[in-house]
Amino acid sequence: MSELVRKNTWTLGLLALFLVLLAFTKTIQTNFGVSGLESLARAALPFAFATAGMAVVVIVGGIDLSVASIMAVCSVIAAVSMPVVGGVAGILIVLTLGTVMGAINGGVIVATKVPDIVVTLAMLFVWEGVALLILETPGGQASDWLQASIQGSIFIPGLPKALLVIAIVVSVVWLPIRRSQLGLSIYATGSHEIAAFRSGVSVGVTRIWAYSICGLFCGFGGLSLVSLTGIGEPVPGPYLLASVAAVVLGGVVLGGGRGGLLGPIIAVFVLRIIRTILTLAGVDPNITTIIEGTVMVSVVMLAAIFTYRGGRA
Amino acid sequence: MRKLMLAVAAISISSAISFPAFAADYKIGVSNTVQGNGWREQMICAMRAQALVEPDVSGLIVSHRNTDSAGQLEDLNNLIAAGVDAIVLNPSNPDALNSAIDNAISKGIVVVAVDAGVTAKGAYILSNNQEKYAYLGAKWLFEKLGGSGDVVYMRGIAGVSADTDRDNGFKRALAEFSGINVVHEVFTGWQQDQGKQQIFDFLATGIHFDGVWTSGIDNVIVDAFVESGAPLVPIVGADNAGFVQYLTAVDGLEGAAVTNPGSVGGAGIALAVDILNGNAPTETTVLVDPVLWENTTADGRAVIEAAQNPNLDPEWPVSVTVPGWTDYSMDQIIACKGPSS
Repeated sequence: MSELVRKNTWTLGLLALFLVLLAFTKTIQTNFGVSGLESLARAALPFAFATAGMAVVVIVGGIDLSVASIMAVCSVIAAVSMPVVGGVAGILIVLTLGTVMGAINGGVIVATKVPDIVVTLAMLFVWEGVALLILETPGGQASDWLQASIQGSIFIPGLPKALLVIAIVVSVVWLPIRRSQLGLSIYATGSHEIAAFRSGVSVGVTRIWAYSICGLFCGFGGLSLVSLTGIGEPVPGPYLLASVAAVVLGGVVLGGGRGGLLGPIIAVFVLRIIRTILTLAGVDPNITTIIEGTVMVSVVMLAAIFTYRGGRA
Repeated sequence: MRKLMLAVAAISISSAISFPAFAADYKIGVSNTVQGNGWREQMICAMRAQALVEPDVSGLIVSHRNTDSAGQLEDLNNLIAAGVDAIVLNPSNPDALNSAIDNAISKGIVVVAVDAGVTAKGAYILSNNQEKYAYLGAKWLFEKLGGSGDVVYMRGIAGVSADTDRDNGFKRALAEFSGINVVHEVFTGWQQDQGKQQIFDFLATGIHFDGVWTSGIDNVIVDAFVESGAPLVPIVGADNAGFVQYLTAVDGLEGAAVTNPGSVGGAGIALAVDILNGNAPTETTVLVDPVLWENTTADGRAVIEAAQNPNLDPEWPVSVTVPGWTDYSMDQIIACKGPSS
C-alpha cells in the first residue's frame, strides 16, 4: 500500500488538488451539482484525449505539435462520413485514419531523422489544410446517439457518461499496451534511446507505434468534438498548448521515459475546473488566462520542491 | 481613505436614487469566442456599458476568449452553472451550440444571440441587417455613378452567413440598375492585407472601373489608390474609424460608410432585460437597420464629423450606439466597465 502511494505521489496529490477545487466550487456556487459535474466532464473530453495522445509521445521522448490539427481532420471526417455510412462505420473510419495520420507523423520523423518538433510543426499545417479541403466551413452531422452518448449521467447521478467514456477508452487502449513489450519499449526508448537500442529495442518502430497511439487518441478527440457540437469544424481548437500543459502538470517528464496517463488526465480536470471557478466568480476574462498560467506553473514548482525533498529524505 | 469613504457614500446615494426598491436583480452571462478584434471588443464594451445603465441588472459575467465551438459550449455551461438569468452570446456556429442553449432555455434562462443566428428553438436573435447593409451602400454607389458604369465587388468570406446576406442585398441593388456591370468580384476574407493586394493586382491589369464596393475592408483600398497614384473612384465601406476618417481627410475621395455597429452587443443586453421583464418582442429575430453616411453633401459631412471621436480605438466601428436600443453614453462605452458582480 505505501509502495503504491509512494509511486503515485504526484497523481494522488493532483487528485487531492482537484477535490479541494471541487469543494471550493461548491462553496462559491452552492447550486453546483450533478449537471455541473456532467458539463465539466463533457468539457474535459476533447482535452483528455489530446492529452492522452500527447502524453504517449512525450513518454517516448518526442512531442506532437499536430494533435489539434489531427483532431480537426478527424472531426470533419466524422461529420462528413456519418450521414453517409452511419455512426459505427464512421467511428471506425475516423479511428483508423487517426491512427494512420499518427503513423505518418512517426514514420516521417524516423525516416528523415528530422527532430520531432520540426516534423510535427510542419504536419500541423499539413493536417490543417487537409481538414479545410474536406470541409471548407463548419458543417456535416454527427449521429444522434453519439451526441447522446456523452450527455448526462449513468448508473448513479453524478457519474457523468463523458467521464466513463474517458476512463474506458484510455484503459482499453493504454493498459494492455503498457503491460506489453511495446509499453516497455516506449518507456525504454524515452528514458535512454541508445541504451534501449543496445538492449535490443527496435527504437524506430517503437516511436512510430507511439505516434500511432497518439493519432488514435486524436481520433477519439475528433469524435468527442463532433459529439459535443454535432458538426465538424475544420479550424483546430485550443488543444495543442492545453495538452502540453496538462502533460507537464500531470507529472510526465518532458524528455521522456517517466510518467503515466492518469496524472495528465486528472490535470485536465484540474485545468477545466479552474476555468469553471473563474467563470463562477465572474473574474475579468483578460485576467483568467493569467491566473490559469500562474496556477499551473505554481503547482509544477511546488511539486518539484516536494519531489526534491522527498528524494533526499 | 477619505476619498474611498466619499466614493462609497456617493455610490450608495446614487444607487438609492437610480435603483428603486422594485428594481429586479438580474445576473447576465456573456459568451464570445473572438478576442482582440476591434469589432468584437466594441461589442463586449457595449454589453458592459448597457448592463451598467440597466437598473435591473446587478451582475455581468463575461466569458471572452479565442476558442472553438466546444470551448463555447464549455463557457455556456459554466454560465448556466453560475446561475445567470440570461445569456447573450455571439455564436461561433448556428448549429453547434444547441445542446447548451436548449439546456439553458429548459432552465428558464433567456438566450439572445447577437451578430449571428442560432437554430435552437426559443432563442432570440438580434443582429445587424446585413442584406440592407449591402443594399444601402450599393444603391448609393450606383446612383453616384449615374446609373451606369463598371464596379469592383469586394466581398467577405465565402459561406459565412453575413457574406451571403450582403450578397443578396448587393444583387438586389444591382437588379435595379441595369446599366451597372460588375467587372471584378473577389473574396477579401475580411483581411486587410489580402484586400489591399487584390486591389493592387486589379489596378495593375489596367481594366477600367468606375467604383468599388467593399464588405468592410475599406481604408486599405483607399491606401492602395493613393500609393499607386491611380485616380480615386467612389468607394463604399463600413463605418470603421480609419475609413470614416479618410472620408473627411483624403482629398478627392468620394465615398460612403454604412454602419455595422459592434454595439449590437449592448442592444442584445437591452433585449434580454426586456424579455426578462416580460416585454418580449413578437418575433424571435430582431434586425437592426444600418445607416449610410456619405461625404458628398454638406449634411453628410456634418454627420461624419460629428461621429468621429479621437478617444475611440481606431479599430472600433464609429457608431458606438444603436438608437432605440442602447442607453449608455460615449464615455461609458469607452470606459468599458460593467456592473460589479
